[in-house]
Amino acid sequence: MTRRPGFLVYGLLAAFVVGSAAPFYWSFLLGSHTAQVAAQGVPPLLPGGHFLDNASRVMDTVPFWKALGNSVLVSSVCATSTVVFGTLAGYAFAKLRFRGRSALLAGVVATMAVPTQLGIVPLFIVMSKLGWTGTTWSIIVPTLVTAFGVFFMRQYLVDAVPDELIEAARMDGCSQIRVVWHVVAPAARPAAAILWLFTFMATWTDFFWPFIALPADNPTVQVALNQLQSGFFKDYSLVLTGATLATVPLLILFVLTGRQLVAGIMQGAVKG
Amino acid sequence: MSQRTLDPAGARDGEAIASPPRAGRPPGPAPAAPRPWRERRAAWDARLAPYLYVSPFFLVFAVVGAFPLVYTAYVSVHDWSLLGGKGDFVGFQNYRDVWANPYFSKHVVNTLSIFVLSSVPQVVVAVVLAGLLDNQLRGRTWWRMSILLPFVVSPVAVAIIFGSVFGDRYGLLNELLGTVGIGPIAWHTDRLASHVAIATMVNWRWTGFNALIFLAAMQAVPRDLYESAALDGASRVRQFLAITLPMIRPTMIFVVITSTIGGLQIFAEPRLFDETTARNGGSDRQFGTITMLVYDFGWQLRDLGRASATAWMLFVLIMLIALVNLVLMKRIGSLAGER
Amino acid sequence: MALTLASTLAACGGGDDGGETADGKTRITVATFNEFGYEGLIEEYNEMQDEVVLEQVKVGTWDDAKANLYTKLAAGSGLADIEAIEGDAIAAVLAESDAFADLSDPELDGRWLDFVAEKGTNADGQMIGYGTDVGPEGICYRADLFEKAGLPTDRDEVAAMLGTWDDYFAAGEKFVAKVPDTAWYDSSGALGQAMLNQVANPFEADDDTIETDNPDLEAVWDDVTGNSDTLSTQLAQWGDDWTASFQNDGFATTFCPGWMLGIIEGNAEGVEGWDIADVFPGGGGNWGGSYLTVPAQGDNIDKATEIAAWLSAPEQQAKAFAAKGTFPSQVDALAAPEIVDAVNPFFNDAEIGQILANRAQAVTVQPYKGPKYSDILTAFQAAVLRVDEGAQEPDESWEQFQADVAALG
Repeated sequence: MTRRPGFLVYGLLAAFVVGSAAPFYWSFLLGSHTAQVAAQGVPPLLPGGHFLDNASRVMDTVPFWKALGNSVLVSSVCATSTVVFGTLAGYAFAKLRFRGRSALLAGVVATMAVPTQLGIVPLFIVMSKLGWTGTTWSIIVPTLVTAFGVFFMRQYLVDAVPDELIEAARMDGCSQIRVVWHVVAPAARPAAAILWLFTFMATWTDFFWPFIALPADNPTVQVALNQLQSGFFKDYSLVLTGATLATVPLLILFVLTGRQLVAGIMQGAVKG
Repeated sequence: MSQRTLDPAGARDGEAIASPPRAGRPPGPAPAAPRPWRERRAAWDARLAPYLYVSPFFLVFAVVGAFPLVYTAYVSVHDWSLLGGKGDFVGFQNYRDVWANPYFSKHVVNTLSIFVLSSVPQVVVAVVLAGLLDNQLRGRTWWRMSILLPFVVSPVAVAIIFGSVFGDRYGLLNELLGTVGIGPIAWHTDRLASHVAIATMVNWRWTGFNALIFLAAMQAVPRDLYESAALDGASRVRQFLAITLPMIRPTMIFVVITSTIGGLQIFAEPRLFDETTARNGGSDRQFGTITMLVYDFGWQLRDLGRASATAWMLFVLIMLIALVNLVLMKRIGSLAGER
Repeated sequence: MALTLASTLAACGGGDDGGETADGKTRITVATFNEFGYEGLIEEYNEMQDEVVLEQVKVGTWDDAKANLYTKLAAGSGLADIEAIEGDAIAAVLAESDAFADLSDPELDGRWLDFVAEKGTNADGQMIGYGTDVGPEGICYRADLFEKAGLPTDRDEVAAMLGTWDDYFAAGEKFVAKVPDTAWYDSSGALGQAMLNQVANPFEADDDTIETDNPDLEAVWDDVTGNSDTLSTQLAQWGDDWTASFQNDGFATTFCPGWMLGIIEGNAEGVEGWDIADVFPGGGGNWGGSYLTVPAQGDNIDKATEIAAWLSAPEQQAKAFAAKGTFPSQVDALAAPEIVDAVNPFFNDAEIGQILANRAQAVTVQPYKGPKYSDILTAFQAAVLRVDEGAQEPDESWEQFQADVAALG
């Protein structure tokens, strides 16, 4: 098989990569200039020296550190719990036989199609009754585990854990929970890592519900960013500095784990 | 392998042929003699554990998925103000109000239009991109990671970044188009132009992601198919059209289905793109989406009854479109079977 | 693993810090929109005592703040200890008086201009809001662009030229004939606001019945939409292009309540030639002016009330005026030297204190703004914008506006 790519292939790919990266540069570029320069339709091509000034203005305008803390907390808690509960349920669906299994699994698949946003009104009413709106609880609880997480782990575990291994462990007198701990968990690790990453990113970028539920002084990064943008001064240097800052954490995560993300997407259907 | 995991329906079918999971099977016909405590405990353990494991999901789903859906229906048949709470039972009045509201059809059409503009070009470009990546490239991983880069930017940030480019009067894009004699294009006021602008944001974020899914599907295509085609003298492009495309068609349908669910709920991009004070999707709702209408009814006009009715209608719409896609998928699947 | 998760969840505690800072001080938040000029005051307050940490939360424009206010009122939590309310919406908020603390205090009687205090008090005598500022309007203009068009540039001559709306529009015709690339005023929406604030009953009758099909409103509509093509930038006020137009000679004049001065200065940073004339077409006009309220859901109502009273005291509002031009609504502040002698270098050293005081004197009409005013105004602005954008003809847009108002219920 000779599928050696020529210049055309590399050229097209390079063009695409430039397109992918350009908005990052644009965001940083405007963020590095003064408001005055950024307000021009065509700003200079090279960054200016005002990024840190603008960053400190962002911190003055919105509670950015608090937002960052909230986002890290919410995203990592949701990602971790999705992995834990997803693995448990995924294992049960993949390997255990119990009454109603097929029906329940069908239920899981069907619920993947139910968008959470549709339940926004009752979610709001219930969270208000509980007195949770305004707290990060209201964001964490609805996404503790997703149908996607369950289904994803189930698909992986079907093949990843040999039945013989589970059987052997049971013969040795392992309780179910010990089987999960000693046999399933180690085998599930690669898929769990991917699920964790995607859940983290999906929670991090979520907007609609946090936007309704959270107050201005206790936001997530996305809510704070929205606040910045809806300000009275549409100050591009300020807003785009905010957009840049809000992207940096995920960018770091991407640099560290991009390889796994790529592998994850290619291995299974992952749609965040 | 990737194909199967990609396909929820297929996976369910796969259930029957999966090897019978022995570990969790309840003990066979119970022996008449009383069993030792240990054994009984083990039996209970085996019987209960599965339910224990799946219960967190169903618990959470019951609280934030099923209950809200039912409760939304309940709210939607009442007068229900944001501040005042539940009022009288009004039957389908809220549905009729929403249906009669001239903005409803506008928001539905906008949502569908933005969806089509963001899924069709996206699939086309992603497939081409995957085709480019499905070569023996130098620095393979680097290329793959590079095209996935936009995925880390949140929709809110994407809307901010692109919003600053799509200014009607002083934006970069119009300035650039102006130098080649085009425009200026009224990105925020012309209906189609605004849809294109918003779809661009979605496309930028998701194309690389979907390209990787297609790439996975392409790599599952047996290479000897290409070899024999090449022996028959088929060009590279011809091979792509005749072999690759048909083979990855189910994956394409899958990508479209999954993006239906997300795409029809689009909110952050159009809301942040809006420059009017009401932020309902332009002065004449040029780019207002259904989720924005839910928000408008519920939290700006403070009428949760109509918001719920709108949410239910959105749900039905999503189900309808998913169903159409599913039928399509089944048909294409059976076509592939005849091959 | 599950255990770790549970303890993580417990440790994170949901993030509601119950109004206390780490070192045990009471945390009081004040949520504002636009520019209140409070930054310096908050610093001052925090230095002056160490029981309370006062923090400001900025929530974009009033429309964003309004949606947030209602959402959190309905949720029963999530509001700041002190919430700023736009004057146009205070009547709507009065309808929810139960959700707000009663701020009435005999010691504060007579602190505010009468109409300000009246608007913040409900029929039962419960005062829910302390007035912060009012918005007497002058005309801000670009002297350099006026010169280009051969119009007078001196602020007294400009004042003499713009006494009535007809004068104002006529001057605009002259201006755009000479300088075709620059519009006469910043946005049709702003013109609409300016004119609405001279109408006794713009949207609602005195008994709160909605009457948006009235001749006064129609007259405003005709002026606003009739001049859209020729004199307006046709941009959405507060939008990105509107902001950018300050840097691009987009327009020559704008309607200037005190609080607008800070906004112009911010958006037009580096632009020279701004000035303000002691005049307003068709007599005086008051645009905006806000209130501080204390939501009843807060943890520290007494302290918040005390701070709201402090912030809205004449001395403090005089300082806010110096910072952002928000013209005080307190009787004593109007005589304060900070106001009377105030000069603004950005506006060509105009005596803005004196000018705005004169403008306040010129206000003869206080429009009646009932509970639906703010919501109707939002629909009105969208209707104006539809005409600006050419999306609809004026008649069509007017019809749609009426339908939108009907849908408000």
